[in-house]
Amino acid sequence: MAVLRPYLYTGGVHKHGLLIELLEDVGGYIIQKVVTGTEVNLIMLIPEKDVPVVKKQSDELLGMMVEAPLTGVEIAVVSPTLASHHLPHSACDVAEYLRHPGANTNMIGLARGMGRRVSLSMDYERKLINEHDIAVFTFGSFSDCIINKKPKLFEGIEIPIVVTGGPDLKTEEVPGADLYVGNIGRTSHRLRKTEEVNALDKLNEGIGKIADNIRKQQAKDPLAVLPARVMKEIENQVSEIRTVLSPAPLTLQLNGLRVKLPYDEFHERLEKLEFDEGVTLSELADISKSKMKNYILIKIKSKSDVGFSI
Amino acid sequence: MDSLEVFDVESAIVSEQEFYRKIIEDNLASLKLAPAIGRIKVVLRPEDSLFQMAILLRDVGTRVTTIDIADMEAKPVAREIIISIKKEQYIPELLGKLWERYGKANISQPDRWTVAISTDKPEQEVAFLKDMMVADPRHRLHENLVDFAIRVTPEGFRVRYHLYKGNQFIFVASEEALKHRWIEEAGAMLEELTKGGKK
Repeated sequence: MAVLRPYLYTGGVHKHGLLIELLEDVGGYIIQKVVTGTEVNLIMLIPEKDVPVVKKQSDELLGMMVEAPLTGVEIAVVSPTLASHHLPHSACDVAEYLRHPGANTNMIGLARGMGRRVSLSMDYERKLINEHDIAVFTFGSFSDCIINKKPKLFEGIEIPIVVTGGPDLKTEEVPGADLYVGNIGRTSHRLRKTEEVNALDKLNEGIGKIADNIRKQQAKDPLAVLPARVMKEIENQVSEIRTVLSPAPLTLQLNGLRVKLPYDEFHERLEKLEFDEGVTLSELADISKSKMKNYILIKIKSKSDVGFSI
Repeated sequence: MDSLEVFDVESAIVSEQEFYRKIIEDNLASLKLAPAIGRIKVVLRPEDSLFQMAILLRDVGTRVTTIDIADMEAKPVAREIIISIKKEQYIPELLGKLWERYGKANISQPDRWTVAISTDKPEQEVAFLKDMMVADPRHRLHENLVDFAIRVTPEGFRVRYHLYKGNQFIFVASEEALKHRWIEEAGAMLEELTKGGKK
């Protein structure tokens, strides 16, 4: 199987179709295309050996191509509640910054996550968070809370947990966290000072490493089919996906994807989705109703489960 | 008393103290409260889930009437009143009151500093308008202070006590049932501020 590298292309709308055609020819995938005015942003997966070819085309179009290590990663940014104490700064700033390297982020405000003794999360919320690849919890400025009180919100979370907060703590000091990043505590202003932006950079870097680790683990027992390939097949076979107005109608995850179509109407068609090799999607993946709205969640089984991969 | 001549934030851990100082500054700025506050002291005790704040306000002025912010001239022949604005900051409130009384159709603004009202009895109306209250800064201040207190307090601290008397404001918030001692401590903080605060 070809190794795919994630890249972000930014350039003019003029002739960007050439790039898309080239990408199809070399067997790459377009993950997301955002057109804003005369600019276009393409998040794409390119076969490793063809990167120079695509790069050349991008240079001809006077566009910019940078690596986007968080492409195909869906991240939950969890804030204790949706009150003005946490939003828009700093939780939204964190979510926005994570999108720069290509991640898809969802903001989740817990119903009762605030406070020390009284904070708690509900079963529904935990399941929703577990649908993602990585969870980022944005906490406040008191080290006592972050170390002693807030970690109870991590109970039942099975995905890697990243914590942001004000004080400068070590990851080991926060029980249950896979990574702690300081200097992103509770603020009432936009994060744009040098030290704040540095902290956000550090966060992106750390999350990039976590995503890489997950990919490495996956490489030992690869998925039965690439999520990007499922995405392409859905685009080809379920034409209704083009009418969905959500920003990312098909959201890639490291081990699956979220399809933003109503479950009841479409799950059978997705189960019967056919690949050239003659297998259907239901043989390769678990298709379930997402906790997010009425969407469909596809989790792809590993090669060892299915017995083969395509 | 100068604005913010005393601005104390106390907490056991110095870095956390700085975070809260910044949060307070930001919220003072966004609610435009800084000029109204003379001395402020905040004590944070996360281990007790406690937030205490004492504020000494500066003189914020009295009610504002139309004559304070504008000159008025009645024009009986043209059947209109011309208001020349002197203090622009109260225009929204003034217009709101005028629209209510005369209707939007009868009020025009030929330029930024002028409001024209067409009415049948310009002279009587001018006499009325002179003493009409346009804005009450104290009322607005109270609203803003409460909003400010809630915004700067950690969100989980939902048990609150507040006192607003004259130019004194005390706010105590916690997650647990409030203890008398905590409110008394806040009272002591206020007294300390009245004496000039810890310099």
